Amino acid sequence: MMYSTLPQIVVLFAMKLIGRMRGRLMFPLLLAMVMTTPVLYAQQFAAPSDLNQQTSQLLLRRIDQLEGRVTELEAALAKTATAAPSPAPSQAAPPPQPETGPQAQPAESQGMDLNKTLLRIRGFSDITFHGNDHIHDSPTCQAYTCFPSSFTIGQVNLFVTSDLSERFKFLSEIVFESDEFNNFGVDLERMLLQYSQSDYLNIAVGRFHTAIGYYNTAYHHSTWFQTTTGRPFLFEFEDKGGPLPIHNVGLSISGRIPSGGVGLHYVVEVGNGRASRSYVPPLGQSATAVQNYVDENAHKAFNVALFARPDRIRGLQVGFSAYRDVLQPGVPSRIGETILAAHAVFIGSDFEWLNEALVIRHTPQGGRMFNTPGWYTQISKRFGSYRPYFRYQYMNAADSEPVYPDIGLRAGPSVGVRYDPTDFVALKLQYDYTILRAQQAINGLALQAGFTF
Amino acid sequence: MPRITIVLLILAVIVTVSSVPSAGTTQPVGLEPQGSPAADECLAILVNRSNPVENLSFAELRKVFLGEQNHWSDGRRITVVMLESGKPERQAVLTVIYRMEDKDFNAYFLHHVFTGDIHAAPTTLATPTEVLKFVSNVQGAIGYVRTTAADETLKVVRVDSVLPCDKDYSIHMHPKSAK
Repeated sequence: MMYSTLPQIVVLFAMKLIGRMRGRLMFPLLLAMVMTTPVLYAQQFAAPSDLNQQTSQLLLRRIDQLEGRVTELEAALAKTATAAPSPAPSQAAPPPQPETGPQAQPAESQGMDLNKTLLRIRGFSDITFHGNDHIHDSPTCQAYTCFPSSFTIGQVNLFVTSDLSERFKFLSEIVFESDEFNNFGVDLERMLLQYSQSDYLNIAVGRFHTAIGYYNTAYHHSTWFQTTTGRPFLFEFEDKGGPLPIHNVGLSISGRIPSGGVGLHYVVEVGNGRASRSYVPPLGQSATAVQNYVDENAHKAFNVALFARPDRIRGLQVGFSAYRDVLQPGVPSRIGETILAAHAVFIGSDFEWLNEALVIRHTPQGGRMFNTPGWYTQISKRFGSYRPYFRYQYMNAADSEPVYPDIGLRAGPSVGVRYDPTDFVALKLQYDYTILRAQQAINGLALQAGFTF
Repeated sequence: MPRITIVLLILAVIVTVSSVPSAGTTQPVGLEPQGSPAADECLAILVNRSNPVENLSFAELRKVFLGEQNHWSDGRRITVVMLESGKPERQAVLTVIYRMEDKDFNAYFLHHVFTGDIHAAPTTLATPTEVLKFVSNVQGAIGYVRTTAADETLKVVRVDSVLPCDKDYSIHMHPKSAK
């Protein structure tokens, strides 16, 4: 394009110039131009080809290295100039070898540069239009289905990480979300200080997602990652009526187990666990299920998970977990809680199949034992930018269950399609059919735009 | 006479323009290595010279690039270096090692960094020269360049005990199919 217009411009300019000059002088001049032009270009492009190209490449690289060295020395000089008192020249001269790149973490030996932020932030959110045919003023209407069709702003999630050193890392999810009373609130959904000794030993303290089953640690507070518009009811968040201790505050140790191609991994967690769902806070106060600040009793929740990711079948994960806690909805009442979960999932680039089952056992002190089973299966396959999916979920809690008085039976299929118009936006359309005990089944429809930014 | 002048001037311009290489085909003479075509077709996996690793099986290499292995044998954290999108070397690595497209690569690392499985996504650099500089400065780094671009400041890792461009070396610029 550039050269197609250049000759025309040059010719026009030359013609104007010629008009102002006399012909006798012009002819020899132009003749000389015609004769010399190709020769000049030949010189310009032929000369470098005679050089040893490998040598010039080495020289260029050497120049680059030297330039980098000069920059490093200048930076080191600037540092020593601002420091008081300045260290001995012998200490300042060789700049320490950086541990990572400019956007990665500093070396443990280096101090924090207060002029730089060490935070990495990524955001996630969604907006959903949803509705169902539940009779909203019915006395049996349950909280999670009682809303008329609405546009809903989903969680606005700021995922923040920071490398504190080569082994220490900070991770958090700061979530802004509205409740059913249209009030916005802020939750620190995850907040972890992680220490990574090796692939076999990682230690984290703070608030994390309990390693019960698969879904809870594979999908956190972002619908964009999920194939469907929402989590299976089993893994619904505590403040949305979910039955599990999704979050825990405490200590988590995880890593690989030397097992060759079997790919065994372990997770051991201890924390405050979840407050009793039946706990009623004093009048005028609200309580959350996640015990961020104080445990309702001295007994700590323990969770152990073991799973395998075999090399031979990449994308397959099979595992189980066992969780144990004691709930204390009232004094001196105590309820033992045991959650056993197993999963087998396959996540390929195009095909995914998630299967999880668990049983929640509650044993009130001196009372009968309650077992609440639950499971779901979810299958999907990607066709270009489209990913149709199907999920069936089931959970059945006894009406007299001491911790889940409001759950009862929930079962039914969901079908939908996810469409990714770009890498960072997902549009989903989902239909849900939910069977309830002693109530009419609910038909629900949701249209969601989830995105990351 | 003026007509002849004009004709000669036009001829001069045409000759001038035809002598200039077109923008899209300009070769930066002296910048590209002129090694044998075969050598230019192989990708060398590079680590810092202080890294004790000499050889990786292809399965181990894949785990390293996928972030499933986060530490070297000496405990140092692994930092994977990728060239930016559009570079043929990156495309080859995506095809052979990751077995993913760029879109899937982004989604994969977004997800696994989010879950906490992976400490950080690969560092992306613009040119092979930057890769060389980065890996030579960062002790836990691992990257790739064409074999002809590698130099003695870095260590070339054997893959399945094979050096780049030797028989049975698996990481090529234009793979016919993923291993």
